[in-house]
Amino acid sequence: MNILVCCKIVYEEQDISVLPDRGLSYDRAELKLSLYDLNAVEQAVQLSGNIRALSIGGKNKDNGKIKKNLLSRGPQELYIVTDEALSGADTHQTATVLAAAAKKIGFDLILCGEGSADLYAQQTGIQLGELLGVPVISSVSKLTAADGKIIAERTADDSVDVIEAPLPAVVCLTSDINEPRIPGMKDILAAGKKPVTEWSLADLGIAAPEVTVDVISILAPVGKDRKRIIVEGDDKATELFDNIKNEVRS
Amino acid sequence: MSEEKFDVIIVGGGIAGSVTALLLARAGLEVVMIERGNYSGAKNMTGGRLYSHCFNGIIPDFAEIAPIERKVMHERVSMMTETSNFTFDYTSDRLAQPGKESYIVLRGIFDRWLAEQAEKAGAMAVNGILVENLIIRDGKVCGVIAGEEQMFADTVVLADGANSQLTTKAGLQRKPVTPHQIAIGAKELFELDEKKIEGRFNLAPGEGSAWLFAGWPSGGMTGGGFIYTNKASVSLGIVVTAAEFINARKSVNELLEQFKAHSAVKPLIEGSKLIEYSGHMVAEGGYGMLPRLYSDGVVAVGDAAHLVINAGYTVRGMDLAVGSAAAAAAAIISAKSRGDFSEKSLSMYKRLLDDSFVMRDMRRFRKYPRFMENRRIFNEYPEMADEIFAGVFVTDGAPQASMFSKIFKTAKKNGLRNLAKDCIKGVSTL
Ligand SMILES: Cc1cc2nc3c(=O)[nH]c(=O)nc-3n(C[C@H](O)[C@H](O)[C@H](O)COP(=O)(O)OP(=O)(O)OC[C@H]3O[C@@H](n4cnc5c(N)ncnc54)[C@H](O)[C@@H]3O)c2cc1C
Repeated sequence: MNILVCCKIVYEEQDISVLPDRGLSYDRAELKLSLYDLNAVEQAVQLSGNIRALSIGGKNKDNGKIKKNLLSRGPQELYIVTDEALSGADTHQTATVLAAAAKKIGFDLILCGEGSADLYAQQTGIQLGELLGVPVISSVSKLTAADGKIIAERTADDSVDVIEAPLPAVVCLTSDINEPRIPGMKDILAAGKKPVTEWSLADLGIAAPEVTVDVISILAPVGKDRKRIIVEGDDKATELFDNIKNEVRS
Repeated sequence: MSEEKFDVIIVGGGIAGSVTALLLARAGLEVVMIERGNYSGAKNMTGGRLYSHCFNGIIPDFAEIAPIERKVMHERVSMMTETSNFTFDYTSDRLAQPGKESYIVLRGIFDRWLAEQAEKAGAMAVNGILVENLIIRDGKVCGVIAGEEQMFADTVVLADGANSQLTTKAGLQRKPVTPHQIAIGAKELFELDEKKIEGRFNLAPGEGSAWLFAGWPSGGMTGGGFIYTNKASVSLGIVVTAAEFINARKSVNELLEQFKAHSAVKPLIEGSKLIEYSGHMVAEGGYGMLPRLYSDGVVAVGDAAHLVINAGYTVRGMDLAVGSAAAAAAAIISAKSRGDFSEKSLSMYKRLLDDSFVMRDMRRFRKYPRFMENRRIFNEYPEMADEIFAGVFVTDGAPQASMFSKIFKTAKKNGLRNLAKDCIKGVSTL
């Protein structure tokens, strides 16, 4: 089975700082793999087959550490599509490019995270399936494959839906589906030797997809002012208690 | 046994590890460098100043290509009391002579770049893996253990820093390290606009200031404070000998808070933003306390080998890390040509090191650790400077004594004999 895993490269959220005007600064932010995609990679490894990873974006290409990290988790090779126009791409743009690349690479099963660690729009996988004209199952918390079909489970509030679909198909996985493995030193060493194919949009024979969503602004929520009352000392329990009581009352 | 074996495994991807990897990979050896951080430098810290001479012959165009913060053009040393500060400030074209200049670096950026140079030369970097133990067979170190995995090599290089556990496991560090051989460093990084830094520290664009403080920052204990200017941030910290904390009244954090709040320091970081803080150990036993540096199948470099000069208020280890890495790499390349990785074969490392600036300087400063245990330097002399200059500069209309008599009076109070003794000792340790 040919399994293609889609992985997004996102900013490390801990490194993003909030500016005085509540805007966000990515100046000191490292890049990393979107957390939920690690579950997709792990699931591919557990299903086993010919596993390839695919990532598209604005500047993925230069980050050797992330490429190695991804490959150390199990995929046999990595495809990367880079174009400046894909920086901050919306879900439609992303799905369009993923679809073109997936067609070129070939696949039986495409795995995606349920959403991305930055925006968590939960759209890309679904649109990808639509563009490719294959079945899509989202919010999957268990997945098995057998004889040209997959059996997926979706956990609802008080029931579990079991869905069967023929291959090829696209499946979006929730983060509780598995525990991604931590690569060992031999996995990491081997990752350095695995093939990486780098494509431009021209290599895929497509133009930069049209922007369908305009971002007007991104702002951090208004921070809460802390009281900054510090009570120190062994005999100050009542004072602490009174302070809390007053705060709760007011 | 048919296990995969590399020429060299290096544990630790800091400065010592990366330079060893770079030189061995250039010579065509198969090198694996294992670093526990997600990237080299992720967990490393330093005060700031790197003497660039150590890269001559290793990275010849270092000054042009290395990601340094600023070139040091102001050397400042201060004697500080709770309420006063006396500073001298030296600046000279001589500080900028090619091959002799020094630079301020941030390890998160610098080490990552250095490790990349090693990777470009062909070394294989493995990040995010902690080496827990060594494989030792018949007294020979044959490889490393991480989790369930083993990896083998002809030579293992221990570049795992001041707190090395592996040098003990390899039998190089035979006696437990005492609190007198280790200092504790704490540092905070403050983000500040480039222009503001240049204004506050009196610097031309791109120039930097290395500033060391004796006295108040270490609370009169053996140690000192430092401030280094980065491109758009300021590194501020203290280093205090671990043994001092056994009876200390103040913690490292309290000392750091005091130092930051001092009237001579506060304006320098006013309006800046704290963006990082870290703590780290410094090896400071000096020449007399060095562990063994090599054994069958293993060598130790940089901080792991305690190759650090700690003159109390200043610490120097990065250039020694580079120098020891160069000596170790040369010895391993030679051992490889003989196919002999025994203790005897690797002893070439020690010979090369003895002839290099590393051991020359370690020997030159050998008396420093003892000299620095002298409390007068960290207590009485900053007070003395305060009194002398208060006498010179504070005027209230009362009759003024001559400058010389003021100095003499203050010096006498502290004991002229002690002063003379410390001067002679201080000069002779240099
Ligand atoms: C507060 C302070 C100020 C200083 N100021 C200066 C200065 O201004 N100038 C100067 O020249 N020197 C200074 N030094 C000393 C200097 O920082 C060190 O000498 C230098 O960092 C030594 O480099 P190293 O590569 O030997 O060790 P380190 O930089 O400590 O690198 C060791 C590496 O090994 C990794 N590692 C450790 N254990 C393992 C393991 N088991 N498995 C895998 N990886 C492991 C670590 O993550 C790290 O990357 C200062 C030190 C301190 C603490």
